[in-house]
Amino acid sequence: MSWPLLLEGTPALLAGLVLGVGFGFFLERAGLGDPKKLLGLFYLDDFTMLKVMFTAIAVGAAGIGALSAAGVVELESVAIQPTYLWPALVGGLVLGAGFALGGY
Amino acid sequence: MRPYWSPYLAGVGLGITLLAAYVLMGFGLGASGAFAHVAAHLENAVAPGRAQANPYVAGYLEAGRVWAQWIVVEIVGVVIGGLLGAWSAGRLRWRLERGPRVGRGRRLLFAFVGGATVGFASRIAQGCTSGLALSGGAVLSPGGWTFMIAFMAGGFVTAWAVRRVWR
Repeated sequence: MSWPLLLEGTPALLAGLVLGVGFGFFLERAGLGDPKKLLGLFYLDDFTMLKVMFTAIAVGAAGIGALSAAGVVELESVAIQPTYLWPALVGGLVLGAGFALGGY
Repeated sequence: MRPYWSPYLAGVGLGITLLAAYVLMGFGLGASGAFAHVAAHLENAVAPGRAQANPYVAGYLEAGRVWAQWIVVEIVGVVIGGLLGAWSAGRLRWRLERGPRVGRGRRLLFAFVGGATVGFASRIAQGCTSGLALSGGAVLSPGGWTFMIAFMAGGFVTAWAVRRVWR
């Protein structure tokens, strides 16, 4: 069996549902269902969002790196977000502004 | 009402979920794409001619039925997961989160304008804080990290301008 599994069809949708439940559950448990807490980063009084996000990124990156180094996961089959510099800069700025207005 | 988890513990849980997405699917978690799929199908229901003539919207329609889209099903899971988390911790109740100095109407107006802005910006950037910053961050995508830094800059400046809504 080669990894990533690259699921398709019904197994993919079932996996999506379960992964989504995990995504929502852990965000809620961290308190990130509350926009006042989410926006704490921008008011420099609550860094929960930063701690959760960077811990998750570190675990994900270390996991993918370790599984790849062990020859379990083929990095060639993993979709890496393409880099569009200006769209990322402009979209990021505008999205950050909208996030601060709406709270999510 | 039980206290929130340590952000590091929740972050490890989220990181394992993210890693599982990459190992099972070959791609990470996302959010804004689901809204793009739903919006394209809504436009197609109201104004099919207009929707199908727009190459960008037509691209989403060509992906097929909205409930067969991975990211749409994933977002349904997010709602269920959030509900489960809140319910099992005794936090589930009907309320509008807002700062102490803002009325309900104003808060909802800001929510609408902010939501529309986030939706628009996610199409410029081809992703949002989930698909680009979180998932792109974990695979060290330069675009993902660029987006994250720009997101924080935009949020920081705007949050100070609308301080009265939240603090």
